[in-house]
Amino acid sequence: MRSAAAIALLAFAAATHADPYEADPDLAKQDTDYAAGKRAVGAKDWASAVERFRRAEVRHPDNADLQNYIGYSYRNLKNYDAAFTHYKRAIELDPRHRGAHEYIGETYLLVGDMEGAERHLKALREICLLGCEEMKDLEQAIAKKRAAR
Amino acid sequence: MRPASRLALSCICAALAPIALAHDEPAKEYGRLGTVKFENSCAPEVQAKLTRAVAMLHSFWYVAAEKTFTEVISEDPSCAVATWGLASILMSNPLGGRGSTAAQAQKAMAAIELGRVMGAKTERERDYIEAVAAYYDDWASKPERARQLARAEAYQKLAAKYPKDDEAQIFAALYTAATQQQSDQTYAAYLKAAAVLEEQFKKYPDHPGVAHYLIHSYDAPPIAEKGVKAARLYANIAPDAPHALHMPSHIFTRVGAWEDSATTNLRSRDVAKASGEGDEAYHATDYMVYAYLQMGRDADARRTIDEASQIKGININGFAAPYAIGAMNARYAVERGDWQAAMQLPMPPQSTWTPTPANTRFARALGAARTGNIAMAREELAGLADIQRALEDKKDKYWATEVEVQRLVVAGWIARAQKNDDDALRLMRAAADLEDRNEKHIVTPGRLAPAREQLGELLLEAGQPKAALAELEMSRTREPNRMRNYYLSAVAAEGVGDKAAARNYWGKVAALGAKSDSARPELVRAKAALQ
Repeated sequence: MRSAAAIALLAFAAATHADPYEADPDLAKQDTDYAAGKRAVGAKDWASAVERFRRAEVRHPDNADLQNYIGYSYRNLKNYDAAFTHYKRAIELDPRHRGAHEYIGETYLLVGDMEGAERHLKALREICLLGCEEMKDLEQAIAKKRAAR
Repeated sequence: MRPASRLALSCICAALAPIALAHDEPAKEYGRLGTVKFENSCAPEVQAKLTRAVAMLHSFWYVAAEKTFTEVISEDPSCAVATWGLASILMSNPLGGRGSTAAQAQKAMAAIELGRVMGAKTERERDYIEAVAAYYDDWASKPERARQLARAEAYQKLAAKYPKDDEAQIFAALYTAATQQQSDQTYAAYLKAAAVLEEQFKKYPDHPGVAHYLIHSYDAPPIAEKGVKAARLYANIAPDAPHALHMPSHIFTRVGAWEDSATTNLRSRDVAKASGEGDEAYHATDYMVYAYLQMGRDADARRTIDEASQIKGININGFAAPYAIGAMNARYAVERGDWQAAMQLPMPPQSTWTPTPANTRFARALGAARTGNIAMAREELAGLADIQRALEDKKDKYWATEVEVQRLVVAGWIARAQKNDDDALRLMRAAADLEDRNEKHIVTPGRLAPAREQLGELLLEAGQPKAALAELEMSRTREPNRMRNYYLSAVAAEGVGDKAAARNYWGKVAALGAKSDSARPELVRAKAALQ
């Protein structure tokens, strides 16, 4: 016991002390379900994406990115009510979440609610004072919808 | 030992590559660390060393603490509670918000398992090990926030179970403070911790953890004044711990006590340099440079920056050193309004820490925009956008927001240079509002150029001195006693014809610069105004 403990501890000492600054804030690198959900999104397997993201949600109920992904997956399953619920939750958690504003705006377009889309474009204009892709994309989607009318 | 325990221990040993024992290495004398009483059942001959290791832990002196806890176990393999100390170290600075890396968590869990296998002799010691284990439990599938909450809850239970164990109360307070969220500007967790620590402070005025954690618990603008007493005492409680010498300056910076900050950081830098802790030395240096610049001691600031090149042993892919290297050179130009120098700043060394070049690009962009070089300002602005995008890709929202604020400030000055004051003010106000919602990070004594102070300066240039005064006053609530703020306030007060206010502000500029070693224009003007 004595030598085993000593060897283990001296090896531990060789492992170096803590570095406070290397932890990664990206949830995908910490949670296997979240990572699997993202892979399912990449494969357009929306049902699997929802299943894996919802599992991750149990552990991370307050993660705006995760809520945004769940909304996106439901949107692609054409379950718009569920999509709205999760997009709104994402925005509630992070009012400056550009992706959620864009995607909920596009979802409003899918259900024919131009006013809802415009509301989120206005929010993006206030957030993206220096411009951003999300604002441009929603602007284009709204313009396209108007042209198609 | 039970077979299962033997198996567990052999697994731990296999997981950790063995190295040669070094019994012949003399124990290093770590000096004065304050007074700690940590009751334990370890062999009498290691008890003093274990207590010293706990004192080091209280001062976040992880290099020394790790070595000392390891020596304790080596000298008394039945001292299982020392594994609690090792696992505690690997959570890193609990107030830093980033916690363990995966590799550190793995090592910590091995240490905890070793402690369980060794078997602490008392229930209390076993409970300490299980309290720290709560942080690492299911580590991989929990975000840092969940780990922090689990840790706080476990230590609060420990403190409740052993109400007479003051170390348990103190650690519980620390880990409660570590749950403070930047978005909560009521500072509820900080103040809850501070209430416990204030009581402990009465009993243990020379305890390193109590003084130290009080400073952290008051490390926010509206409550910083409450931490001054602990800040003034801590450096002398544990004068041989680099962090203990540096930490008071967090409060000194919050209240604008620049002389105190420079003095304690000078000591911290020298101790850190001597003990080969380069990151800590750079961190202290940046705080020291900031303090010197607020006092107009530009020659001291310059010399300190130059001396930093001799600091060895930094982790360039870490955080503290890359931040300091970029920031202090940029500060030297920006605080003095030396826009030509700002434009010529060299990029800091490459680091995998994504925000590293942001302060340099920000300073260069400010220099360019303030001198009308719009093309260069736009180029640097594009560089900042790239950094923000990279941070967003990494889901690092805090630093992405900090860089977004910098972009908005630069865009504001570009608009001003293009004589579009409406856009300039809209952008600068957005920057100030966004920055106010994003608390200053502990890595920095202050942003390179506080956004609300910039808004005040812009309003002044745009011919709105009354509005400028209001913004500058608001800026001082978060960034007090800054020379540039008082200078701008004096000019703004003159602009509205308030001679008494102007004289008051010029007096503050002159007082800050009483030991100045430079001919800063603001000091020259102050002297003239006060004659």
